[in-house]
Amino acid sequence: MNFRLNPGPPLDWGAVLSARLLTKRYGSLTAVEDLDLEVSAGELFGFLGPNGAGKTTTIKMLVGLLRPTSGSARVAGIDITAEPERAKAKIGYVPDAATLYDKLSAREFLEFSGDLYHVEPRLRNRRIDALLKLFDLSERSNDFLSGYSRGMRQKVSLAAALLHDPQVLFLDEPTVGLDPQSARQMKDILQDFCKEGKTVFFSTHILEIAERMCTRLAIINRGRLVAMGSLQELRHMVGQDGQSLEQIFLELTGSREEDVSAVLRGLES
Amino acid sequence: MQGLEVGLLLWRAQLQMFLNQTIRSGKPGRIAGTIIAAAVIVLAWAWEAFVTWLAIQAAHRVPVLFDDLHLLSLAFLAYTAVLVFSSLVFSFNALLLNPDLDLLLAAPRPVESILAGRMVVQVLRLFLLSLLFTAPALIVLAVANHNALIPFGFAALYLLYPVYVVVIISLLSLLLVRFIPVGRGREVLTLFGVVLALGINLLNFLLNPALRDSGFTRRSQAPSLPDIPVASAPWLPSGWAGRSADAILSGNWLSAIGWILPLLAASAAIFVVGTIISGRLYLAGWIQAVPPRRRQTGSARGRRLKGALPLIHPVLAAIVVKDWRMRTRDLAQLVRFAMPVAFLFIIFGLRFPRLLGSIRSLGEGPAAAMLGLIPAWVLLFSLSISLGLTAVSLEGPAIWVFAASPNTTLRLLQGKCWSTALPTTTVVALLAVIAEIFIRPGWLWAATAVLLAIAQAATLTILMVGIGAVFARFDWTDARRMLHPAAAFIGMASFGIVTGASALVLGISLALASATGFPEFTTWLAAVTVSIGGAIAVAALGVLVGNERLRGLELG
Repeated sequence: MNFRLNPGPPLDWGAVLSARLLTKRYGSLTAVEDLDLEVSAGELFGFLGPNGAGKTTTIKMLVGLLRPTSGSARVAGIDITAEPERAKAKIGYVPDAATLYDKLSAREFLEFSGDLYHVEPRLRNRRIDALLKLFDLSERSNDFLSGYSRGMRQKVSLAAALLHDPQVLFLDEPTVGLDPQSARQMKDILQDFCKEGKTVFFSTHILEIAERMCTRLAIINRGRLVAMGSLQELRHMVGQDGQSLEQIFLELTGSREEDVSAVLRGLES
Repeated sequence: MQGLEVGLLLWRAQLQMFLNQTIRSGKPGRIAGTIIAAAVIVLAWAWEAFVTWLAIQAAHRVPVLFDDLHLLSLAFLAYTAVLVFSSLVFSFNALLLNPDLDLLLAAPRPVESILAGRMVVQVLRLFLLSLLFTAPALIVLAVANHNALIPFGFAALYLLYPVYVVVIISLLSLLLVRFIPVGRGREVLTLFGVVLALGINLLNFLLNPALRDSGFTRRSQAPSLPDIPVASAPWLPSGWAGRSADAILSGNWLSAIGWILPLLAASAAIFVVGTIISGRLYLAGWIQAVPPRRRQTGSARGRRLKGALPLIHPVLAAIVVKDWRMRTRDLAQLVRFAMPVAFLFIIFGLRFPRLLGSIRSLGEGPAAAMLGLIPAWVLLFSLSISLGLTAVSLEGPAIWVFAASPNTTLRLLQGKCWSTALPTTTVVALLAVIAEIFIRPGWLWAATAVLLAIAQAATLTILMVGIGAVFARFDWTDARRMLHPAAAFIGMASFGIVTGASALVLGISLALASATGFPEFTTWLAAVTVSIGGAIAVAALGVLVGNERLRGLELG
């Protein structure tokens, strides 16, 4: 499946996303600390971490929804804190469990989204038709979003994020709620998107997807980046070739298998 | 008994949630709010106790020829209407909106006990509310009658009386819920609220002796109790409760218990039967709601609306169209448009001929022109508060859509100003023009009055958008929580200050004209200009302050 909104010459294949000493504190709680990242154009970058590790906070800082307590982030060479509007024009964002406007239809929501991103109406309508078809939503495009399942909402969010042809796509847990076909379709779309020289930065809990799709990965634990690189580089880092990403992940974030067994034994007694 | 146990469990969980959100929240604002609310309740209690004491003293001096039994039975009958409405809201909330029903039903307890537990929670809530409202009066009555058991007797009545209503309404809700499409529960609840509010106001207008006259004349009739003999019928719960309450007040405890017993027996029987039927209905799958209807076409009206806004920035036009769709498609939102109009009709429309005659008798001039604007101002007050203050909060959790887009917060605010000021100004202008046509205060006076109405509609609505932005809430799931109480208070106060200042300037201009011999219309026009200029300045300030708040917003 080919997905091309804007066929043209490939973009500059330099670092399209970078973060330096990115930190976010909420009072005494440090959600993200001194995070350094660099993602090149054309990369499909996986951002992994246990629950509460700081993945969503990091993504929200990178897309300009949260202001870092310290440090900086640049998207397509633009500082997201200094010039948020310019940077956001280059970004597509799909949040975890996206809340949409329930009383709009999918088409109306996409029209609204296109207008927010300054997409010219005729081009916008053409793209909406293409995206609705791509996500198998054409038939229900006039239904209110309140009647959509979580997976369908996820597709609408992704369609909205792609509508303005962004340079970097941020996705927070994009495959949650999707059926196997849709999850596969999303993977294909993201890979096609990257082939155009654009960048995907996504967080996931499903390590199998990350293992198969991502060109590079980063693992965050308790707000700190604990590893970054290709799967092979991560294997070298833990010193055991041939390990699965799950084993690497558990090793880097602290395996709790023994604790779990002990607790379960305690419950039985 | 299991139902009672579940009910007490649920009650404890609700109490914990209440405490966690208030005293234990650790947020100074919430803690202060709780303390202020408690202080207000204590003040209200003190006031109620004082008024009750005054009434008892007055009754000792001037004998009142009321039938106590009829009065108390009427009170319980009226209370039944409150019970019906609150139980409907509670039941539909529990069945359609609260996400915890599935969680509770997954517990290893009979379905009947879960449904009964819900009813117990509702009865307990109503019991406490009744005590909250009447406890001071009951204590004063106990002291005055030297009968310390009066509050306890009434407490027993408060506990028993709601049971039969709650059970019957819960059963009815279970029967009705099947016909409510998925996702429309909140709207149905809103509809109940609207019908009740309009019904009460209409009945009040039609039946209340104090409102029978035009309002300009003194009341000619002595107040009397509504003549509803069925209220104290010995075969109705309101009659049992009324008789029992009457006996409690007169210290006749045997009679009081005698009339409580049928209430107790009926409540217990209805509770048991209702619980069994509820369980059967649930297990039979009756409450599976019907799926929503499919929409066949897109909104042509929305496209037409957008076509009518070619002069404003596309992002602003997109916000106007989106907000229009959200407001008009959601009954809870639509009510914000419709309710003020309905109330205006009740307040002014039903007395239209008499009011028109009174204003026309003032002759041509600024007084008649400005009095003609009163309905428009009432409408403006209502619309600017309800639409303007909630304009930014309307985004709710979907605010991320805008926040992630390449637009400034000022643009969002501009869009919100357009989306609220446009309909508000249009409706207010229309009403002002119609009123001036009927009143005919002279075309120059009428034109300036309409101009002032239009300018104030636009500026005050924009001011409310700014205030709403300062207190914006994006975490609501229930539309009733969109409006922050502080925003409502500040918004109303600001509306009063701006319109009051405007009236003062206009009054001064007329006084100046009569004192100096200046042409009245010249000073009037100057006052209108000053008034509009002041309103514009205040609105601009409101938007700037609102924008500062939104700029600091973080979507964590």
